[in-house]
Amino acid sequence: MLEFINFYIIPGIVIGAIYALGAIGITLIFGILRFGHFAHGDLATTGAYLALGVTTLIGLTPWLSLPVAMILTALLAYGIHRLFYRHLEARPKILTVMASLGIGMMLRSVVQVAWGVDPLAYGSGIARAQSFAGLMLRPREIATLALTLALVATLLAFLRYSKWGKAMRAMSDNPDLARLCGVDNDRVTRLTWFIVGALAAASGFCLGINTELTTMMGWSAMLSMFAAAVLGGVGRVEGAVVGGLVIGLAEELSVLLVPSPYKSATAFVILLAILLLRPQGIFKGKVL
Amino acid sequence: MNKTRASILTLALAGALATAPAWAQNVKVAYLVGITGPIAGMAPTMVQSMKFAAEQVNAQGGIGNGGKIDPQVYDSGCNPQLATDAATKAVNVNGVIGMVGPSCSGPVIAVANSVTVPAGVLLITSSGTSPKISTLDDKDLVFRTVASDDYQGRALARTLKARGTDKVAVTYLNNDYGLGLAEAFSDEFKKLGGTVTASRAHEDKKASYRSDLAELAKGGADTLVVFAYGNSSGLTIVRQALENGFFKNFVGADGMRDENMIKTLGAENLKTFLVSAPAGATGAGFEKFSKDFKAAGGDPNGTFAATSYDAAFLMALAIEKAGGDKAKLSQALREVATAPGEPILPGEWTKAKQLIAEGKDIDYKGAAGDHEFDANGDVPGDYILYKVSGNTFAEIERMK
Amino acid sequence: MASIGLINYATFMGTMIGIYGILALGLNVQWGVTGLFNAGIAGFFAVGAYLSALLTAPPSPERIMGWELPVLVGWLGAMAGAALIAWPIGRVCLRFRSDYLAIATIGVAEVIRLVLRTEETLSGGARGITGVPRPFGGLEYSLSQFAYFALVIAVLLMVYWALERQLTAPWGRMMKAIRDNEQAAAAMGKDVERRRLESFVLGAAIMGLAGALYVHFMRAITPEAIDPMIATFLVWIMLILGGSGNNRGAILGAVIIWLIWSMSEFITDQLPADVATQAKYVRVFLIGLMLQLILRFRPEGLLPEESVQRTSHLAPPRS
Repeated sequence: MLEFINFYIIPGIVIGAIYALGAIGITLIFGILRFGHFAHGDLATTGAYLALGVTTLIGLTPWLSLPVAMILTALLAYGIHRLFYRHLEARPKILTVMASLGIGMMLRSVVQVAWGVDPLAYGSGIARAQSFAGLMLRPREIATLALTLALVATLLAFLRYSKWGKAMRAMSDNPDLARLCGVDNDRVTRLTWFIVGALAAASGFCLGINTELTTMMGWSAMLSMFAAAVLGGVGRVEGAVVGGLVIGLAEELSVLLVPSPYKSATAFVILLAILLLRPQGIFKGKVL
Repeated sequence: MNKTRASILTLALAGALATAPAWAQNVKVAYLVGITGPIAGMAPTMVQSMKFAAEQVNAQGGIGNGGKIDPQVYDSGCNPQLATDAATKAVNVNGVIGMVGPSCSGPVIAVANSVTVPAGVLLITSSGTSPKISTLDDKDLVFRTVASDDYQGRALARTLKARGTDKVAVTYLNNDYGLGLAEAFSDEFKKLGGTVTASRAHEDKKASYRSDLAELAKGGADTLVVFAYGNSSGLTIVRQALENGFFKNFVGADGMRDENMIKTLGAENLKTFLVSAPAGATGAGFEKFSKDFKAAGGDPNGTFAATSYDAAFLMALAIEKAGGDKAKLSQALREVATAPGEPILPGEWTKAKQLIAEGKDIDYKGAAGDHEFDANGDVPGDYILYKVSGNTFAEIERMK
Repeated sequence: MASIGLINYATFMGTMIGIYGILALGLNVQWGVTGLFNAGIAGFFAVGAYLSALLTAPPSPERIMGWELPVLVGWLGAMAGAALIAWPIGRVCLRFRSDYLAIATIGVAEVIRLVLRTEETLSGGARGITGVPRPFGGLEYSLSQFAYFALVIAVLLMVYWALERQLTAPWGRMMKAIRDNEQAAAAMGKDVERRRLESFVLGAAIMGLAGALYVHFMRAITPEAIDPMIATFLVWIMLILGGSGNNRGAILGAVIIWLIWSMSEFITDQLPADVATQAKYVRVFLIGLMLQLILRFRPEGLLPEESVQRTSHLAPPRS
C-alpha cells in the first residue's frame, strides 16, 4: 500500500500539480481572451530557463530566483501580446491561435540559441527522499505542492474578492456586458497576461526542478496541460487544478493497465470520456 | 561563392565528366543532423565531431590537389518530411557529392529512398540503427558507422552474464534504437540462462517514470538495463531510480554513454553504472579520437559523437580515394574502410593521403570500430564496457 | 547543367506542396466550409499513409498484410480507411463545439500515433514499413521525380475540381449556411448534424489520400512522419494564411508556407560556418517571425473567401 502511494500516487500528484499550473494559464486565456494558446508550453520553458539564468548570473538559489523569473516571464508574455496578438484581437480567434504556434517556435529557438540544447539542471546531484511515516517525499516535491497551493489560493482569492479579479471574471462570462458595465478590457487583458506569464514560469520551473531542463519540455507537456484545462471546464481555475491532478494521476496509474507508451494516451481517453458524459467539463465551464 | 557552387554542381551532376583540373577544388559534403526537433539535445555534439573531422582533413593538406572539404550543415529535424527537403536541397542545389547523416532511422530510410539513392549520392549515417536500413534496395550507396543494435545487444547480454548478473529488468525507449537493443539483449540473455524479469517500453520526454520503475522493480531484479539516450529519458529514468532506491546496478548501451549523465547526477551516484559502446578491435582508435577531440573542446563521450566523426572522416577518405568522382565513391569507401591495408587511425589524414597517392590500400580503424562493412553496408562492432570514473568513462573490459 | 539541380529541387518542393495542398483542401472542407475545428489532421494522414503502404508493400514477417496490390487500390483504400475512421469519431465528437472538438481530435490523433508506433504487428511499430512502391519509381532520378510530381499535381487538380463543383452545388451553399448560422439552417429543415458529419468524413478521406500520396513518394513510412507539428499544425497555418474558405487560398497557403519553410534554410546558411548549428535554431525563429508578418499584413489570408460576407468565422452564435 505504501509502495502504491509512494511510487504511483505521489508522483502523479506532483506531475498533476505541474500540469495544473500550466493548465490554469491555458484556461484563463481560453476563458477571458477566448483562444487556445499554443505557445504556452514554450512560455513555460522560457520561464524555467530564465530562472536558470537568474540562478547562474546573480547566484540566487533556484527557489529565490523563481519570483524574478515569474516577473520576467509575465513581462515577456505581455510583450508578446502587445507585439503579436493585440492587432489580431478584432479578427477571428483562429488567427491568434496560428500566431501563438509561431510564437512557440520563436521562443523555443531563442532558448536554444541562448542556453543550448543539452539538458541542464538547477543543481547537480540527486535528492534522495525523506521518509515521513513511510511516505517518501523530497523537499522539492513538498515545495512544488506548496507553491501550487499558494498560487492557486492567491489566484482564487484575487478573482473572488478584488476589483480587478471580479472584472476578469466578468469579462470571462460576457465581454460585451462587461464593457458596458465599465470594465476596461485592455487592463483586464494586460492583467491576464501578467498572471498567465507568471504561472507559466512557475510550471516550467517546477517541471525543471523535478527533472531536468530541456528545450522541448514545455512543448511536450503542453498537450497534457490542454487536456487538463478542458477536462476541468474552460475558464475555471479550480477546474484546471482538478483536471491537472486527474491527468497526472491517470498517466502514472496507467502503467498498471496498459503498456507504458500509452501513458500520454490515457490523458486523452479520460478527456474524451468526460467530454461525452459532461461536455462542459468537470466544473461547469464555458461551452465556447 | 556562386561560381564555386555552380562549378561544383556541374561536377556533381556530371560525376563522370569530372576531370583532373576540376579536382583541385573544394568538395561539398552534407552533414544532415536532427538539429531541431526531438533529438535536438544530441545534435550539437554530432555536428561538432563531424566538423572536427573536416577540420582535421583540411588542416592536413585537404582533398586532392589543395582542395578542401566544405561541410554543409543541414537540419533533418528527425522528421522525414524535413529531412528529405533538406537532402534535396543539399544534393540538387548545393551539389554535395556525399552525405553524412541523417539522424534517426525514419529520415535515413526516406532520404535514401527518395533522394540520395536515386540521385546516386553516397550516404553514411552515424545514428540510424533500424534493421530496415540493412534491407533497403540501396545500390550499395547506404552505409552506417553505427553498429546494428543486434550485435551490441547480444554482446552486452553475454558480458553481463559473464560478470555474474543473472536477473535483470529492461526498459527501453519506444523507437527503433531502443526496441532493437532490447529485443537482441533479452533474446541472448535468456538463451544464456538469465532471467529478464520485466521488459517495458517507455515514451520519451515524460516528467516522471516512477510508476514505470515500480512496475519494473516488481520482479525482484537488482539490475536495470536502460536502452535510451543519456540526455533524454535515460537520464530521467536513472535519476528517478536512484532517488527512489529502485535497483542497485544500471547498465546502458552507447546511447547512455553521455558525460551529461555524470555532470547532472554526480559521479558519486553512478558508481554502479556500466555502459557498453562500440570501439575498434584494439581500442586505439577511440583513444586517439578521444584525446584529439577533447583538446578541441569536444565531448568524445557524447551520444553518437564517435560514430559521427568516423562517418565524416570515412567520407573524406572515400572522396580522396575516388578522386572526387561521385560514381566511384561507394567502391572507394569499401576500399578505405576494410581490410586489408595499412591501418589508419582517426585524424591520420596526412598519412592516409600519402598512401592513397602512392596507390596503396588503407584500412581505417575508427573511433567507433574498425568499420569492416558487410554486403549491406553494416558494421559488426567490437564493444568495450565502461564504468564511470571521475568525470568521464573508463574502460573496464573488452566485450565478446 | 546547373539548372537540372534546381529543377530537381523545384520538382521535390512541388510534390511536397501538392501533398500539403491536398491536406489543406481537406481541412478547408472541414474548417473553411463547415467550421469544424479538426486538430487531428495527422491522424487521418497517418491512417491513409499506413493503409496504402500495407495494401501495396510486400509482406513482412513481423506485421500483417503486405498484399502488393496496385498503387491505385492503395490510394482508394487510404481514402476509404480514413473515412471509416473519421465516421465514428465524427459521430462521437462532432457534438462538441469548436475548441472541444479541437482537443478531442488532437487526442484521437495522438492515440492513433501511439498505436502505430507501438503495435508492431499492425504497423511495423517503431521501425515502420519500407518497400512501398512508387509509380514511375523505376525511372532515372529526375524523370521519376518529375513523373510523380505530375501525378500529385494531377490528383491535386482533380480534388480541387471536385471540391469546387461540390461547393458551388447546393450542398456547398448549405454547408456555408450551416457554418454561418446553424440555428437558421436547422430552422429551414436542414439536417445539420448529418451534413456536418458528411463534411468531416469527406475532409478526412482527402487527408487520407494525401497520406497515401506521401507514403508512395517516400517509399516508406515511419512514426516520425506523423509528428503533430509537421502533419497537423503546419497544415492549419497553410490554410489560415492562404485564406480559409477558399480552395485556391488553401493551395496558395501550401505553396507560400512550404517555400518559407524550405527556403529559409538558404538564408540562415549565410551565417558563418562556426554557428552552423545555431543557424538552424535561427531558421525556426525566422519561420515563426514570417508567420507573424503575414498575420500582421494579410490577416484575412492571402486569398480571402469570396462572396457571402460572414458575420462570424469562429464562434457560432453564443447561446
